[in-house]
Amino acid sequence: MAVKNKQKILIVDDSEMNRSILADMLGEEYDILEAEDGVQAVGILSKQYSELSLVLLDIVMPKLDGFGVLSAMNQNGWIVDVPVIMVSAESGSKQVERAYELGVTDFINRPFDALVVRRRVVNTILLYAKQKRLIGMVEDQIYETEQRSSLMIDILSHIVEFRNGESGLHILHVRTLTAMLLDLVAAKTDKYALTPRDISLISTASALHDVGKIAIDGAILNKPGRLTQEEFSVMKTHTTVGAEMLQAAVPGWMTDEEYELMKTHTTAGADMLAQIPVQHGEDLVKVAYEICRWHHERWDGRGYPDGLKGDEIPIAAQVVSLADVYDALTSPRVYKPAIPHEEALRMILDGQCGQFNPLLLTCFTENAEKIRTALEGDAAEEIQQRNLRSISEEALRGEGGAVSERTLRLLDYERMKYHFFAAMSEEIQFEYTVSPSMVTLSAYGSKMLGLEEIFMDPQHSEQLISIVGQKALDEIVTRQRETTPEAPDSSMELLVHLNGEARWFRVITRSVWTNDVPPRYTGLLGKAIDIHEEKMKLRELEQKASLDPLTGLLNRASAREQIENRLLTHQEGHFALAEIDIDDFKRVNDELGHMFGDRVLQELARRMKHAVRSSDICCRAGGEEFFLFLDYNTDIEHTVERIFKNLCFELEGRRITVSMGVALGERTGLSYDGLYRAADVALYAAKRGGKDRFCFYDDSMKDLTP
Amino acid sequence: MTMQECYAALGGDYEEVVSRLRSERLIQKFVLKFLDDGSFDLLAASMAAQNREDAFRAAHTIKGMCQNLSFTALGKSAHDLTEALRNDWGADAPALYETVKADYARTAGAIRELKASLGL
Repeated sequence: MAVKNKQKILIVDDSEMNRSILADMLGEEYDILEAEDGVQAVGILSKQYSELSLVLLDIVMPKLDGFGVLSAMNQNGWIVDVPVIMVSAESGSKQVERAYELGVTDFINRPFDALVVRRRVVNTILLYAKQKRLIGMVEDQIYETEQRSSLMIDILSHIVEFRNGESGLHILHVRTLTAMLLDLVAAKTDKYALTPRDISLISTASALHDVGKIAIDGAILNKPGRLTQEEFSVMKTHTTVGAEMLQAAVPGWMTDEEYELMKTHTTAGADMLAQIPVQHGEDLVKVAYEICRWHHERWDGRGYPDGLKGDEIPIAAQVVSLADVYDALTSPRVYKPAIPHEEALRMILDGQCGQFNPLLLTCFTENAEKIRTALEGDAAEEIQQRNLRSISEEALRGEGGAVSERTLRLLDYERMKYHFFAAMSEEIQFEYTVSPSMVTLSAYGSKMLGLEEIFMDPQHSEQLISIVGQKALDEIVTRQRETTPEAPDSSMELLVHLNGEARWFRVITRSVWTNDVPPRYTGLLGKAIDIHEEKMKLRELEQKASLDPLTGLLNRASAREQIENRLLTHQEGHFALAEIDIDDFKRVNDELGHMFGDRVLQELARRMKHAVRSSDICCRAGGEEFFLFLDYNTDIEHTVERIFKNLCFELEGRRITVSMGVALGERTGLSYDGLYRAADVALYAAKRGGKDRFCFYDDSMKDLTP
Repeated sequence: MTMQECYAALGGDYEEVVSRLRSERLIQKFVLKFLDDGSFDLLAASMAAQNREDAFRAAHTIKGMCQNLSFTALGKSAHDLTEALRNDWGADAPALYETVKADYARTAGAIRELKASLGL
C-alpha cells in the first residue's frame, strides 16, 4: 500500500450529524465515504470493499440495519478484509454479542469521545494492516516457493540425471518425505519451532542435498560395486563441496578469492546456483548449506564430515538424512536392487544405516504406512499444495476460505471489467442474491428503470412491483424455482410500466448455485432486453393476418380460435352463435357490379359492429357469410331481433336483407362445432322459410340438412 | 448569546461536550447543524400516523444526536420515548412524545437564538 494513499473509512449512519461528527473527529488523515442507510453501505462495499480500511457502522437505520450490513459482509466474505467498528447507543448485551458473532472488531458507544474514537480507529486499522501485510508475506512466500521449486528441480534433475544414474524421482521423494516428517515433528513437539514456512523452505532446500556430487568423479559415483576406502573418502567430500558451492552462490558470504578458488572445481554448480533469486535466496541457501554439509551426520556422532552429535546437527539435515537413507534403500541403485519398505524400515531402526534422532524414528514408524503410500502415489504434488495452504492458514490464524491478495486482484479486475462492459452495453443487467435478499442493477438499468442500483427484498419492493406487476414478479420467482444447476437458464417476456408507458421486455436469467452437495441456490444473474418494437411489429402482423381485409372483421380462422377460447374459459356463460347470410347477394353483384357488392359487405360489417358490444365477436366467414358470437344474460330473442333489424338496410336505393340462423349454447352444448352446425341448420331453415328473417335452432330442425 | 448560555437554555451540559469533542468550533458547528436534521419531523409524522417502527427510529436518532452533543434534557426524553416504542406501542408513548416535543422546542429555540446572536 502506497504511503501517500489516504486510508478510506466508510461511515454508515442515518443521522447526517453523527456522520459529520465522526468525519470531523477523524480529520484530514482519512478519506471518508458516507452512507445514510444499510443499502447504500452494501452498495459502496460491493464496489470498493478492497479499498476500504474500516467501516464505522450504526445499528438502527432505515431500509437495512447494521446487522443486515454485517450479514451481507459475511455472505460476501468482505468481513475478512474490512474491519467493522459498531457505533451505537445500543448497549444491550444481546446486541453486542450478536455483533461480535458477525465479526465486528470493536464498539464505540455514543456519546462519542474524540480521543476514544481516534484511538480505536487507529488501532483497528493497524491491526488489520498487519494482517494484510501478513497475507502479502504469505503470497510472497508462495510465489517464492513456486519459483524456487521449479527452478531448482530443473537444475537438480539435470545434475542427477547426467551425473548420478539416480532417477530424478529421488529428489522428489526426499522432498516429499522431508515435508511429511517435518509436519509430523512439528505436530509432536515445539522443540524445533517449525513454522509452515520453515517446512516449505527445508523441503525445498532438501532437493540440494547431493548437489556436491557434481564435483565427484563419475567413475566413483556410478561404480556398481563396493567403493574402496580411498574412493569412499572422495565420495564423502560431496557434503563439504556442496556446502561450499552454496556459500559461493550468495555473494558476500565469502571473499572473492575464496569464491574464485571454489569456482575452479565447481564452476557448473556455482553458476547454476547463482540463478536462484537472490533477494529471497539467503534463508534458502543457509538451510541448503546445512543440509548439504550435514546430511550424512549421525545422531551418535559417527557420521561425516564433521562428526556432529545429537541436536548439534540442524533439524533440517537430520530429517533430510533420514529421508535420503530411506529412499536410497527402497530405490534400485547401480550397486543394489530396491529393498521392500518393511525391510528398509527394520534396517533403519536396527541402526544399520547409522543412528538417527529417536524422535524422528518414532514419527517415522508411527506413520510408516502413510509414508509408504505417499511415495508410491503422486503425493509430492499434493504435499506441496498442502504446504501452500497451511502457510496461508498459519498467517490467517486458521480462517478458512480467506482469499489471497492475488485472487483479490484478479477479482477486482473481473469486477472492473464487468462494470465497464455493463456500463457500455446499454443493457439492463442485474444480479440477485438470496441472502441478503438484494438486487444490484447495472448503472444503465438503474437509470432506465428509475430504481436504485442496489435495493433490498425485491419481492416486496413496491417500486419494482409497480414497474413489472406482482404477477410477473411471482412468475420470475416460480421460474427460478424450476431451474436446476444443470439447466440454470430461463427466459420470459413481461410488460414493464415506465413513465406511464408499458413496454415489452424479455428477461433472461441464469441461476447461480454453490458447489455443495446438494447444490444450494444462491441467486441469479440476468438481463432485460427491450423487445417492444419487435413485439409490436409481430403483433401487428398477427393482427393483420387475423382480419378480413375488406371489412376489417375477423376472418373465419381467427374468429374460430377466439370463440373456442371464450367457450373454454367461460364454461358457465350463455352464448349464442348467429350465422348471417346476405339474401340474393349474387344477384346484387350481377346487377350492380362487384364494387357495389363490396360496399354492401362493408356497410353490413359496420352495422354488425355497431349492433353488438365490443366484447362480442364479429366475423366475415367468407363471401357473403358472416358470424356473430354473443354473450347474453337476458332476453336473447329480443336482442337477436334488434340486431336483425339493424342488419337490413337500404344502400343507394337498393334494399338489402339478410337471413340469420341462431344457435344457443344452452340448447346445443358449448362446442364450436355444435354451435356452428346448429346455426347453419337454423340459417337454412330461415332461407327456406323465405329469407329476410331470423330463426333459432331447436331440436325439431335436427333432421334438416343444408 | 454564548455557547454556554445556549447549553444552559436548552438543558445541556457544555463542559461535558467540550471534554469529549474538544473543539469549540466543531461543537458550535454541530449544534447549529442540529436544526437541519429531519428526525423530529419524521418523529412527529410517524407518531401521528402511529407508525411505530419509523417513530422508534426517529426517536433513537434524536437520542443519539443528543448524546453526542450532550443535550441532556432532550436526550433523556428521547431515550424514554425510544424505550417505550422499542418492542411495541407503549401505552405511555403519546405522553412521552409530548415531553420530547416540548424539549425539542426548547432546544431548537435556544439554538435559533444562538444562531441569531451569531448573525447567521
